[in-house]
Amino acid sequence: MITESISKYSYINKSIPRIDSTDKVGGYLLYLTDLKLENALYAYTFRSKVAHGKINAIYTEDAEKVNGVKAVLTYKDIPAMNGYGAIVPEIPVLAYDKVRYYGEPLALVAAETQEAALEALSMIKADITPLPVIHSIDEALDENAPKIHDKGNIARHTVVRKGDVEKARSSAYIVLERSYETPMQKHMFLEPEGGVAFVDEEGAINVLAGGQTPYRDRIQISRVLGIPPEKIRVKNTPTGGAFGGKDDITVQIHLALLAYKTKRPVKLVWSREESGIAGFHRTASKIKLRTSVDRDGSLLSNEATIYLDSGAYQSFGPTILDVSIETINGPYRIPNYVIDANLVYTNNGIASAFRGFGAPESNFAIESMMNELADELKLDPIDLRLKNILKTGEVGPFNNEIRHAEGLEEALKRAKELFYRPDPTGPFQRTGVGIAVSVKGVGFGTLPEFPSAAIEIAPEGRVSIMFSNVDYGQGINTGNAQLVAEKLQIPLSQINVLHSDTKFAPDTGGSSASRSTFNAGNALLLACEKALSELKMEAASYFMTKSDVITYKDGYFYFKDKTVSIYELAKRLRFKGKSTRFEATLEVPRYTEAVEGTLEVPHMVYMYGVIITKVEIDELLGKIKPREVDFIADIGNVINPAIAAGQIEGGIIQGLGYSLIEELNYDKDGKPLNINYTTYVVPVITDSPLINVEFIKSYEELGPFGAKGVGEVSIIPVGASVADAVTDAIGKRNYKLPLLPWRII
Amino acid sequence: MSYEKVEVYSPRSLAEALEILSQKKEHIKPVAGGTDVMVMLKDGVVKEKELLNLSYISELSYIKEKESRILIGAATKYREIRRSPIINAYAPILIEAVRQIGSPQIQNLGTIGGNLGTASPAGDSIPPLYVLNARVKLQKIGTSREVQIDKFFLGPRKTVKEPDELITEISVDKMEPGSYYFFEKLGLRSANAISIVSAAGIINLENKTVKYLRLSLGAVAPTVIRATDAEEEAKGKELSEDLIDRIAKLASEATKPISDIRGTAEYRKKATYGIVYEALYRIFKGYGKKIEYGFEKTS
Ligand SMILES: Cc1cc2nc3c(=O)[nH]c(=O)nc-3n(C[C@H](O)[C@H](O)[C@H](O)COP(=O)(O)OP(=O)(O)OC[C@H]3O[C@@H](n4cnc5c(N)ncnc54)[C@H](O)[C@@H]3O)c2cc1C
Repeated sequence: MITESISKYSYINKSIPRIDSTDKVGGYLLYLTDLKLENALYAYTFRSKVAHGKINAIYTEDAEKVNGVKAVLTYKDIPAMNGYGAIVPEIPVLAYDKVRYYGEPLALVAAETQEAALEALSMIKADITPLPVIHSIDEALDENAPKIHDKGNIARHTVVRKGDVEKARSSAYIVLERSYETPMQKHMFLEPEGGVAFVDEEGAINVLAGGQTPYRDRIQISRVLGIPPEKIRVKNTPTGGAFGGKDDITVQIHLALLAYKTKRPVKLVWSREESGIAGFHRTASKIKLRTSVDRDGSLLSNEATIYLDSGAYQSFGPTILDVSIETINGPYRIPNYVIDANLVYTNNGIASAFRGFGAPESNFAIESMMNELADELKLDPIDLRLKNILKTGEVGPFNNEIRHAEGLEEALKRAKELFYRPDPTGPFQRTGVGIAVSVKGVGFGTLPEFPSAAIEIAPEGRVSIMFSNVDYGQGINTGNAQLVAEKLQIPLSQINVLHSDTKFAPDTGGSSASRSTFNAGNALLLACEKALSELKMEAASYFMTKSDVITYKDGYFYFKDKTVSIYELAKRLRFKGKSTRFEATLEVPRYTEAVEGTLEVPHMVYMYGVIITKVEIDELLGKIKPREVDFIADIGNVINPAIAAGQIEGGIIQGLGYSLIEELNYDKDGKPLNINYTTYVVPVITDSPLINVEFIKSYEELGPFGAKGVGEVSIIPVGASVADAVTDAIGKRNYKLPLLPWRII
Repeated sequence: MSYEKVEVYSPRSLAEALEILSQKKEHIKPVAGGTDVMVMLKDGVVKEKELLNLSYISELSYIKEKESRILIGAATKYREIRRSPIINAYAPILIEAVRQIGSPQIQNLGTIGGNLGTASPAGDSIPPLYVLNARVKLQKIGTSREVQIDKFFLGPRKTVKEPDELITEISVDKMEPGSYYFFEKLGLRSANAISIVSAAGIINLENKTVKYLRLSLGAVAPTVIRATDAEEEAKGKELSEDLIDRIAKLASEATKPISDIRGTAEYRKKATYGIVYEALYRIFKGYGKKIEYGFEKTS
């Protein structure tokens, strides 16, 4: 259910259809992997068939001799730095001394035809001495384990603490100690990683590939090629799904390298299986919690040991670990805590960003703990939360002053009305209801961010809006256009979106951390203000008066009985040789200092949600069917209710997959077992329960027209709520996701 | 991924197809709907460089009655089976299974002969064929033979079919009016799921006494199996929760499952018990599916 309440706004709070939906639904839209450049070379990647090993030699001579082959590149051909990685550039572009996961790229081939490229690929030989493979966090931590990197198997270790946990625990009424596990999850976007690259007339390298953060991609390419970023263009739109899996580099550097070396257009698209083998996935987690409460249910202390499996390299691992630290205390008042957090190397591919970014992992632990504590205390789980949630103005566990927590309280109270066990549909069916709370910061916490965005007013009667965040299906183009329409009071049909292309759009950052509405929206509104103030002066010159007596409404400036439109004014500006493009930079509101031991904790603005999941379980088969899910969200002012609800529904279904059936597995040699849609099973539409989405009326002054963010909030609490519902149905608690039927009976 | 070129022969008659096959034998791969072959081609597991496309041979696509049997052409698509008045009237258990195969897209292309050709123990049309006493007709130039369904399969992906033979027809018994039936499939999702366990059963009751039970199980052994001990146990006894429990236990004991990413062997045994128990329990409680031969009377 989407409630579209009566609103004072003209273009926001409205479920306007997505502005790009016709082309997508009609199948007209060409994705970047659909592009066919004239004269393009076909490119393929030669990958390691050993998960962990020492590289002795890579033989490419025979491949180079194949007719039509234009390039066979190895690490020797990399002009500058052989490394990338969003946080630490430690991932080799092409492996040189060691391979650390099955499928790691060793060489690139480009040829005139597909046949020649594949023939060349089959002629490359790698001489690799295998080393023992590390399959899991436990194996990596073993003191006799082989080291995946010289520095060992721990990529990052940090301890964050407050208060005196020992003292708090010793006076507690109940202390529970539990271990939780969550699996690696694949993004399974419909469009696999891929794109094209070419060198243009001006000698600039153009990389057009699915991605999330064009300016960061550009810097990463520039470091590897050793050419300045200005000589590189990255365009990431349209991208057919990402969910975090395209936030770091996938094909971009390989494409740029091939175009740079061959001076020819190239196309490189990973097959579904390559995406399965070499694409990113969500960190697996092992989390130990020891949590204590008072007799009345007040939380006293929380001791957490967090291990995240980063796979062979770090990518976003360090910041994912930060979000897992921030999430492990929930939205609760916890006066004493110790969080011992570890990012661990294994030979399991590379873990990277995935919707929720460390939060679903920690949320499963703390919210499962809250449900079990409620049981032990014989308290209603909603009351236990109402008792412990931080209130507006309170200082939170990470020394942050809590803003707008009323929404969470209201959502919990509403949840009470929805929290009931449904009737079973037949014999052998048991039903249960479960709950969990979601909290997630918007953006990059204390990391400084200065996103820029621009608008350009064309005399022809159109306003172009420009930002670098990528709309890979979330609907941010529509949402941001609505914000600008509202600000300028002009119809949406006059707005044209130019985004995620370093050629046109300023650096607004990328699409991640539920930040694209907040950051791009705010920056766009600043650009609109700049435009309006400049145009007002031009209007004053036109009316031959002072600007402060002029008013503005619906795209027109008014003075007495005279009017002039923004487009006529743009024409005048252009005539005078002035620009009609207005760019502004936002200083993202944040706390200046990160909590000791963290990189970016805390955030200033949090999204909240409460989820109620109702399941039915076949007691003889252990099969869990989610029947109904209610989600009550506080995402600030809702720019487009239908799009926002779509994000919430999508997150819930992806979360149900994560909770019930999805799990990336590797065999004893470190080879991934489920690498396509046949073997890696994701839910289909007929698996979807009835989903009820409700929005709390809320307004965050720091956001654009009161908005916060929405992309990640709903996936985060699904696991804990499902596990809780299963407990309610069968009486047995589960501490490990996914809840596959054979783990239930 | 393999992009190797394959040559496709598309004969318009069975005679022509058999002629080509007699020359090329194991060097050519028959393909009907292609829903398995295309996947195998992509995975590089098809050794043959040539394909024998059966989809233009209309004489391989039919559903006919012949006395107490129904004859189904090997290249008949699932969609046709689902729509067939004959199958709906006399072998609705097959409809139950076909309905749960893949998705509408797969049912529009996939054929029953292809399911047999693939010979997966998880093939969903196969358990019903076992309880319908199906026979598989294999034809080559000049001769043909008929094989009982349980003699057709030798193991996963292995059958008695010779390289120069085609599957041309599958024939099944008409179900007796008044019999109860079920096909149950357990997968990890509600469509496009490979069975973890499946079961097909036909049970004929006289008052409450079991005249006969035919029970087959899928995905729990190298081939689909008949649970003969369970069938024996049921014969002549009055249906009760206790009997159902014994039947389900014997069915579970008959399995020889493996562990893979779709389920552990232990789970498959438990789930076999559960799936059989629940299906029979529904019949016992009077809300099982029953065949009435409705179509005949109304025409
Ligand atoms: C997404 C998806 C979902 C699926 N879901 C299911 C499911 O739920 N249940 C299930 O059982 N299967 C499923 N399958 C598998 C497949 O659809 C079935 O096995 C189908 O019956 C194959 O029929 P086909 O005509 O497409 O066979 P093809 O792919 O054409 O052939 C399959 C095999 O049979 C041989 N063959 C075909 N016809 C003949 C003949 N007349 N004589 C001799 N040999 C022959 C071929 O050489 C080949 O070895 C699924 C497949 C996909 C891609």
